[in-house]
Amino acid sequence: MALFAVPLAVGVYLSFRSENLSSLGGGEFIGFENYTREVLSRDFVAALRTTVLVMVIGMVVQLPLALVLAVFLRWNLRGTRFYRSVLLLPMLLTPVAVGLMWRFMLNTDLGIINWLLTETGFGAVRWLGDPASAIAAVVLVDSWQAVPFLMLLLLAGLAGLSGEPEAAAAVDGANGFQVFRYVTLPMLKPVLLVALMLRLIDGIKLFDTIFIVTGGGPGTATQTLSLLDYRVGFTFLATSRGAAIGVVLALMTLPVYFIWRRVIGVEAR
Amino acid sequence: MSAIAPSKGSKVVAYAVLTIAAVAALFPIFWTLSTSIKNRVDSFAIPPTFFDFEPTWANYRNLFGDDLFVRFLVNTVIVTVVSTMMSLVIGSMTAYALARTRRFRGRRALEASLIVVRAMPGIVLMIPLFRLVLTLGLFDNIWVMCLVYATVNLPFTVWVMTSFIDQIPYDLEESALVDGAGRWSVLFRVVLPVAAPGLAATGIFVALLAWNEFLIPVVIADVNAKVLPVFIAGFISARTLDWGPMAAASSLAIIPIALLTVAMQRKLVAGLSQGALKE
Repeated sequence: MALFAVPLAVGVYLSFRSENLSSLGGGEFIGFENYTREVLSRDFVAALRTTVLVMVIGMVVQLPLALVLAVFLRWNLRGTRFYRSVLLLPMLLTPVAVGLMWRFMLNTDLGIINWLLTETGFGAVRWLGDPASAIAAVVLVDSWQAVPFLMLLLLAGLAGLSGEPEAAAAVDGANGFQVFRYVTLPMLKPVLLVALMLRLIDGIKLFDTIFIVTGGGPGTATQTLSLLDYRVGFTFLATSRGAAIGVVLALMTLPVYFIWRRVIGVEAR
Repeated sequence: MSAIAPSKGSKVVAYAVLTIAAVAALFPIFWTLSTSIKNRVDSFAIPPTFFDFEPTWANYRNLFGDDLFVRFLVNTVIVTVVSTMMSLVIGSMTAYALARTRRFRGRRALEASLIVVRAMPGIVLMIPLFRLVLTLGLFDNIWVMCLVYATVNLPFTVWVMTSFIDQIPYDLEESALVDGAGRWSVLFRVVLPVAAPGLAATGIFVALLAWNEFLIPVVIADVNAKVLPVFIAGFISARTLDWGPMAAASSLAIIPIALLTVAMQRKLVAGLSQGALKE
């Protein structure tokens, strides 16, 4: 843990000073000025909004989709193993490469997705040129990797359930959907909570994909807190201001621990 | 296994959904691989050419003909292997201590910090780390990168390994201790061999994280210690329209992982239910 403590301490130290990269070691102690200037800035608030937006849209899209796929795979139809292998494939691929792949598929003039949309009569979309569609593109690329992961998690959860309560409900005359809604889903609740928590963590951490697909743009439309911090620290070279944003980001992740304790608590029951 | 046999109609729906999802999962990979063996004209063709093009290995030949690229690839392998070894050694020792010492001062704090550090965005550490590395004159050094990677992946390793070691019955160790073995030899001769499958799964996972890592090398390395993901990312600023080489480099990054994912899918299910779903 000491290995983490050192950079964190340096980060806190830097955040109270006025250093930037062109004057390394220069600068002086300026107290909370970086905090009041950065954290209350319009950029920070906008980035916070974008972070939450991408996270929430992502969850709303990804979790139901993953659940449906996991349930269908659990039916053990013919070919399930093939489908499972294929569907898991995107999960662990290098995010930078994945981002780049999608970036050239989403290219406005030459990308295959717009070609497909034009051919099918939907018309081309300026994917990375328009704020709303850029957010959609980021969620799309993130989902391509997140849905397989969530599906795997839910599959593991479903595999751990005993089929007996479901069978009993079916005997009592519940139809397939009712069994799922009132028996399976409640039993799956702990796993769903874990899934939500892991997505929360990944949502805060999401960086590579956005960095590659949109670079935070157009303008700052997809600039999340991590990207803002990177830009301030490494593009504007404002080391101390970047460090202050970093400290705030670190503080924002603290509640995750308490959520985690509650989730584990629910599961232990 | 599901308790209820699905009706014919819902089976059709299931197949339709699974097939659409499978196409969505596969197509980008297929498209990257096929673009990587197209020449420049074919890679831009509208309407796109799916199969009726003259395949070429030129993109790959050019990459491997470039000494710098080969060095980046070697760097990536070195950092992946060395940092994974480091995390596994330190991580399994820490995990052993955590699993076998139920109560000690600061356990909760340690646990909390493991979780929080895992949830913390990488960029938080990168600005101070960059400053530190620069001040100490360790910028662009591959061994420093190994150390940083190992540190960043340590919480995950400890987390997962603790749950694996927890499941090993203590009796096993007790009998070894009674026979006069020390703690260290118990760890290396008794515990780790039993935990080997878990260790292997964790190792592969950590290795993937290292192989994919982008933020650390982009911040603390330049040309000497550059790795594959940073090279790939370089296409967006410098060579935006070199789709063929770009796809070839991307393919080199993802093909090993794709093969591994297929080979390991069973273990992945087991490993995840171990690591993520249990405390």
